[in-house]
Amino acid sequence: MRIISVLILVTAFAAGSIAQIRVKPLDIKQRTLANGLKVVSLRDNTSPTVAIHVWYNVGGKNDPQGKSGFAHMFEHMMFKSTKNMPNEMMDRLTEDVGGYNNASTWDDFTNYYEIVPSNYLETLLWAEAERMANLNVDETNFSSERKVVQEEFRQSVLNQPYGRFYEYIGSLSYTKFPYKNGVIGNLEQLDAATSEDVRAFHSLFYRPDNAYLIVVGDIDQAQFDAWTDKYFGKVPRPTTVIPRITEVEPARTKEMRYLKTAPNVPFPAVAITYLGPRSDSSDLPALRIADAILSGGESSRLYQSLVYKQQIAQEASFNIDNKVDGGLLFFSAIASEGHTSEELERSLLAELKLIQDSGVTANEIAKAKNQLIASAVRGREDNDSKAIAIERAIAYQHYPNAVNTNIQAIQAVTADDVLRVMKKYFSDNNRVVIYYTNDGGVK
Amino acid sequence: MNKSIFKTFVLAILVLAIYSLTAFSQEQPPAPSAPHTVRVPAVIESRLPNGLKVAVISRTTTPLVTITMLMDSGADSEDASQAGIADMTATLLTKGTKTRTATQIAEDVAFLGGSISSGAGWNSSSVSITVTSDKVPQAMAILSDLILNPVFDQKEIDLLRSQTTDGLAYNLKQPSFLANYVASKYIFNEHPAGGTPESIAKIDRQAILDFYQDRFLADRATLLFAGDITSASAKTLSAQHFAKWKRSKPITMPKLQMLGKIVIEKKSDPILPATDILVIDLPRSGQAAVSYGNRTDAERFTYLTKRRSSSSDYYVGSVLNSILGGGYSSRLNYEIRIKRGLSYGAGSSINWRVPKANFITRTLTKNESAGEVAELVIAELIKLTKESAQQDEAVPRKSVLTGDFSRDLETTGGLSNALAELYSFDLSPSELNTYINKINAVTGDQVKMFAAKHLLGGKIVIVGDYSIFKDDLAKRFPNMPIKVIEADALDLSRDSLQK
Repeated sequence: MRIISVLILVTAFAAGSIAQIRVKPLDIKQRTLANGLKVVSLRDNTSPTVAIHVWYNVGGKNDPQGKSGFAHMFEHMMFKSTKNMPNEMMDRLTEDVGGYNNASTWDDFTNYYEIVPSNYLETLLWAEAERMANLNVDETNFSSERKVVQEEFRQSVLNQPYGRFYEYIGSLSYTKFPYKNGVIGNLEQLDAATSEDVRAFHSLFYRPDNAYLIVVGDIDQAQFDAWTDKYFGKVPRPTTVIPRITEVEPARTKEMRYLKTAPNVPFPAVAITYLGPRSDSSDLPALRIADAILSGGESSRLYQSLVYKQQIAQEASFNIDNKVDGGLLFFSAIASEGHTSEELERSLLAELKLIQDSGVTANEIAKAKNQLIASAVRGREDNDSKAIAIERAIAYQHYPNAVNTNIQAIQAVTADDVLRVMKKYFSDNNRVVIYYTNDGGVK
Repeated sequence: MNKSIFKTFVLAILVLAIYSLTAFSQEQPPAPSAPHTVRVPAVIESRLPNGLKVAVISRTTTPLVTITMLMDSGADSEDASQAGIADMTATLLTKGTKTRTATQIAEDVAFLGGSISSGAGWNSSSVSITVTSDKVPQAMAILSDLILNPVFDQKEIDLLRSQTTDGLAYNLKQPSFLANYVASKYIFNEHPAGGTPESIAKIDRQAILDFYQDRFLADRATLLFAGDITSASAKTLSAQHFAKWKRSKPITMPKLQMLGKIVIEKKSDPILPATDILVIDLPRSGQAAVSYGNRTDAERFTYLTKRRSSSSDYYVGSVLNSILGGGYSSRLNYEIRIKRGLSYGAGSSINWRVPKANFITRTLTKNESAGEVAELVIAELIKLTKESAQQDEAVPRKSVLTGDFSRDLETTGGLSNALAELYSFDLSPSELNTYINKINAVTGDQVKMFAAKHLLGGKIVIVGDYSIFKDDLAKRFPNMPIKVIEADALDLSRDSLQK
């Protein structure tokens, strides 16, 4: 157990006056059960609710070969029956008592969470332990849920004018690493999965030594610890080895260019992608400052240049798609009426060159820090937001207290750091350029 | 002296019949313990001499404050030929004042670490800024500049117009957006709040100036503070920054007097649940959006006392919607997603308006199953009008509403939204304290009666690739007229809806 009780005092200089934004550190407590389950808790009784997150170290990158989309489809099955719960009982225990539940599958991890009135904490700890230990796999449930996931694919990819574009950014940016397959998968590979795959996946990855329990809210610490022991302590730790990905994405050696089309695309778009660092890299704080300077709001460089002054784009952004084994750094823009992907590409690359040649100003750094730190304050207002912040620290930096040290790391970034990372990751021969436009059929 | 007073009430959460659900289980889930108390901070109201209402809801647990200026005119004040002007006017407030350019405004807000938003809803317009509590004086200086000194620069109007037009071109390729867009006129006899390509092209600077000068006035606005601020300091800052704001001239007609002019057609007793189907053909769309909508006679508020209060319709309608289409376990989502795998989600909503409410359902499904989903929706509507919901269904569905309500109040943004919702209908903020009990008092019979009175006799809109569901739809609805319009030929400025 570790208690952190230092108040981090963040000082920012804004337009000549000293402005201080205080970020109160989260006083988290940690322990590990004998079966390997790691537990993080934070007491906050501002409101009589509790946020419960169970985080598993398995995601879209762990999809079985030829079955992309499987980890996400599996996530849906965790809401069906277990040995001691009928289908959808998680909804009876959450929604029906004024709570909320959901889950999400990412490239690197999967989380299951609920926010409930705090008097239901014990009930939900039992239920989460139950689905970790005793998932049932039923053929009828599986085929019905497969159809739901296929509708989710249609809704999020096929239905959106730029849905396929964002899928291409992932699939064309990686050549070897499983990130290239995406999380949502595709209709054919979803059809390839069987209920036997579901059973195998559960026993491989859904186990206490591959998970974190994160609880934030109106709890009594001693009682919470006792309940955790009682319900999670008895979940057995399997003796099998948890499979990990060994592939490595090779460094790029030349520019690659693609032209992709789709129906019902109203305006051309462009993406320019680069391979980024691993998620625990010390370069990320400087990249986040660069991100804020390039595309944080309407005073940012890309908005001012492409959207406001040249008016060639409806939106233009720099993005950090953070991933554990190496994420993507990319520029993207959607043209305004009458403008082209070529114009967007030229202007985005001009902004990149400008920052590489001339760096950023002290004023821009100060503004970016204020934006990022205030956004961290806004991002940890309620119990669930705090739990999410802790969970992301675990997922991307592999230790919960990164939720607190991240603020100091942002504060320490200098203009030289920004210049260094902008020169390190971006060059003329390591980019993938994707043009995306209407397929010439129906406009 | 101005310490905020906490009015306390208990969120009554009933211990549910979890045990009956798990009759087959070997192991029972542990039962809940006694519920803890939900606290809703009190709202302190005051008024400046120019008529500006100020309302403060203080909570000091997070160092954040959301400040919202709520104006009483929204899309409902627009002429349909200028649809979108309310939203453009509110947006342009952040695009230049006598002393700050659009870029300077964005720069100043970014330096504060603030977030700002502005826009129009149906009944109101607003500008809202959230900052850490040490930055409130600077945020107030910016906010008052935006509201009192906008210049509506022609260059900014031109840019916003082209951005809005491009945004519409993008949205009009999405089945779910298109369904709501078309329903606004075809079902609700209104206009789309964000405008149409045709109306946006016609809005000029003078029209925007007129809209601003006639409606954005101190006595037609409410300034809301939510979060880490005392009511005393909120009042002082309000007076300091908004005392100079003009109030309306005496000849301005109060908004309320216009209500009598709106005539709602009385329908004869509807026998058919739906009267006709409009298909918007969007070839090669990934899914079909299926919606059923009806313009209801349900009212948002009544005048039981001198001040308006939420009507019984409002609470009954809210419970009805939770049963039918609010949240994961509602009937529509159960029948369409959980049981049949036909969609990623199905639901419904009641959009409360002055004077009446609009009811609409929404689902996206593969084009092949558009007709089947439309049938399922209609079947659920009919069921609601014939059978009263039983306690074992109604109690959990009420908990969804009261639980969402309580959770939303956990953030300053949520507190501010809850207040804005009440003030936009000129309702008392004390309703925050009575909401849960009023929801819990709704009966199954009331829901059935509401359904019978307000839901049937509406219209179906389907947006998708018609070639795929044409034959099936005709087979399933043999007696219903089906009108088809190509998506590219839509023009909501015409009664025919077509160019």
